[in-house]
Amino acid sequence: MNDAPVDFTVIGGFLGSGKTSLVNRLLAASGSTRFAVLVNDFGALNIDETLIRHQDGRIMQLANGCICCSLAGGLVDTMVELMRYRHLIDHILIEASGVSYPSRIMDFARIDPDLRPGLTLVLVDAAHLQDHSTDTRLAETITAQMESADMFVLTKTDIASADMAAWSRDWVATRAPDAPIIEGRPDDASLVALITGPAPDATSAATHHHHPADHTGHHAHADPDRALHTHFVSRAMTASRPVDEDGFADFANRFSKHLLRGKGTLHFHRRSAIWQQAGRLVHLEDATLDADTASQIVMISADDLSEAAAALRALGFQDVANVPAR
Amino acid sequence: MTETNVFSARDIITMNASRPHATHVAVRDGRILGAGSLEDMEQWAPYTLTDDFADKILVPGFVEGHAHAMEGGIWDFPYVGYEDRWDPSGRRWEGAQSLEAVIAALTAAEARLDDAETPLFAWGFDPIYFGEARMNATQLDSVSTTRPIIVLHSNGHLLNVNSRLMDMAGITADTNVYGVLKDDNGKPTGELMEMAAKYMAYRQTGNPFFGGIKTPSLLRYAESAVNCGVTTATDLFASFNEESLAAYVEASQTPGYALRLMPALNTIEQSIDEGIALAKRALQDNNDRLHHRLCKVMTDGSIQGFTARMKWPGYHNGKPNGLWNLDPDTLGELVLEYHKAGLHLHIHTNGDEASELMLDALEAAQLACPRPDHRHTLQHCQMADASQFRRMAKLGVCVNLFANHIYYWGDQHAAITMGPDRANRMDAAGTAQREGVHFSIHSDAPVTPMAPLFTAWCAVNRQTRTGTVLGPEEQISAEDALYAITLGAAYTLHMDHLVGSIEPGKYADFAVLEDSPLQVSPDAIRDIGVWGTISGGAPHKAATRTG
Repeated sequence: MNDAPVDFTVIGGFLGSGKTSLVNRLLAASGSTRFAVLVNDFGALNIDETLIRHQDGRIMQLANGCICCSLAGGLVDTMVELMRYRHLIDHILIEASGVSYPSRIMDFARIDPDLRPGLTLVLVDAAHLQDHSTDTRLAETITAQMESADMFVLTKTDIASADMAAWSRDWVATRAPDAPIIEGRPDDASLVALITGPAPDATSAATHHHHPADHTGHHAHADPDRALHTHFVSRAMTASRPVDEDGFADFANRFSKHLLRGKGTLHFHRRSAIWQQAGRLVHLEDATLDADTASQIVMISADDLSEAAAALRALGFQDVANVPAR
Repeated sequence: MTETNVFSARDIITMNASRPHATHVAVRDGRILGAGSLEDMEQWAPYTLTDDFADKILVPGFVEGHAHAMEGGIWDFPYVGYEDRWDPSGRRWEGAQSLEAVIAALTAAEARLDDAETPLFAWGFDPIYFGEARMNATQLDSVSTTRPIIVLHSNGHLLNVNSRLMDMAGITADTNVYGVLKDDNGKPTGELMEMAAKYMAYRQTGNPFFGGIKTPSLLRYAESAVNCGVTTATDLFASFNEESLAAYVEASQTPGYALRLMPALNTIEQSIDEGIALAKRALQDNNDRLHHRLCKVMTDGSIQGFTARMKWPGYHNGKPNGLWNLDPDTLGELVLEYHKAGLHLHIHTNGDEASELMLDALEAAQLACPRPDHRHTLQHCQMADASQFRRMAKLGVCVNLFANHIYYWGDQHAAITMGPDRANRMDAAGTAQREGVHFSIHSDAPVTPMAPLFTAWCAVNRQTRTGTVLGPEEQISAEDALYAITLGAAYTLHMDHLVGSIEPGKYADFAVLEDSPLQVSPDAIRDIGVWGTISGGAPHKAATRTG
């Protein structure tokens, strides 16, 4: 029996924004993480029948250990049912319908100690955002999605005109100025890597203490790791003296827009903590760490980390080395 | 030669325009041979004359176009609503008109459970009538501290739970999640709303209302129907899993089953292709008492739950607009595909933005694939304005209005949700009539009690619980209301060739009444006694009310 909380991720975004492509890619590249994905429509997943080990009504078990669940019975009852199998699941990923409010779904993880609140990712269709945002039937929903996402993926930038793509990016940035906006296809390996998220080397050991569910999975599977480092910039820093906690919390909020992922082990004056961040999602949780070690962090960004690094230097950090791109 | 029976009555209101009244009706093989005078019956001799109903009024068996077979099974759990209700066996569940009365009812129900840890579920709770007073966990703890208790509110959006359940769920003062309500001291009150909090409650106990329908519920549903004169009823949000489909067949083939059952496939429970295939395959199960072909679409939520989708100016008290059940584009695609497949859609729309979206979708479907006489029906459709009724008439779309809402929640709609202007046009049967829309009226049982005469009373009087009349211009005559609960409803279900009036060839389905809805004063329609029904020529007496 695995008593560690099950990771919980919500993928939101309107119809056509690419949620299903992302889920498909994720199922194919799950490594040894046992995902349970909850989707509105089984059929859209196009799962190779030979990979289906067992299907029982609304629950399908795949050969790679993942579970697909239809949300047709409603989210509440589906989750009640699914959690009876929590010992078979490392990570639950909800494909939210385009008209649902992702934060209301993330509340499941906020209320249930057996779930660990994770990333709320909203996909935005750059080619149709203008239509959607001016449609009175959809306006409040899309605004609520802007408020609740930790980060955004701007999809369909390849088919949107350059003007339209720029308009869409601005529209999101105006409403969510502190959230990262990545451009890309929803089935990019890098995007999957952000969700499956291997712990960057500098902090992996500490993270594993906190979260044993990660143990078997991520390191055995190198692909997401490589994808992260190929597509994004990384930076590792360290601090040998205790860090000012308020200053660090302020840094995490101030640079949330640039931090696709951040992880680290931190010695504050009054406590030690593990830091995990994905855009606007910031976790700083108590941890028991070896007092002799330095504080260590790694950041991954789609753009520039030099200002973030400068802010950290002001808090007493120094560069370890830029993690080389592979 | 098979047997012919003739029933005599004080009056037979046939709803057949060419012979509106009769004193006798002849029945053979469960169908109507003809209605007329005693002399007219000679043509069918020899026959057996039954004078049992000589002092009663016969009308076509009522057709309930929007109810749920859960009405049969929900009585396994204690009812704690505000008004008296009678279960299918005729037992009275006394309305709990104070919080103390609710607790007393729960205490009595608790005493009937043996194991100290079995969860206690109750339903129908409606604190809207108790002013500012709310129920809290401490009060429920006086019922039990050992078993989890869940009390469902009648609006479907809230639960009340006791401390035992909160302990199991780990809900404490430190739980900071939307939907876990707290008192002034920051302590959770035991009132839970929204999905996450409900999930946490049901994770401890399971959800007894989840899953498909079972045969015993369908059998009790038919008993409930007999009690109020209904001979044809929908189960308007049905799971078509194998177990449920088998239950429909089993119940409908049970000797003496007194109901013609019309389940409507829940279209969002599977992909569009699978749903269409399921609905078509179910047609093979059809028999005299089981009529598949209906498919249900959920567009938005409820008005009193503030989840209905409203057009400008939105909710009267400024609450944000409601929720779509699916992406509007997906809903449009769903309507088109089911329409193309020749199936019959019944579409839940409460707010006027929802009814507009569905009228757009139905218009697009008609343009893409013209289908004469489709009879797709907007269900509830409580807030449609006159322009939308005109579109319905043009598109051949029917409507089934939630007339009972006027009585149960009309005061709240005028004061809180819609404001007086739009509350006056709620469930606008008068406008439907004027604009030539085929319409019916319904109970949505078990949300409100199934009782078509009460529903007719609502449409005729439009009186709220406090006695206010909402929009007298939308009142309809007793005759039109009687039409709406018989032939009008049959039309919306595409069953008007089989039920809804008393004329040759149709099923011999009658409601047996103590008085004529056309003779009593309009405000007394709801008080007319129901002896029972005659279904397929066989009399079924209503359960004797007890308690």
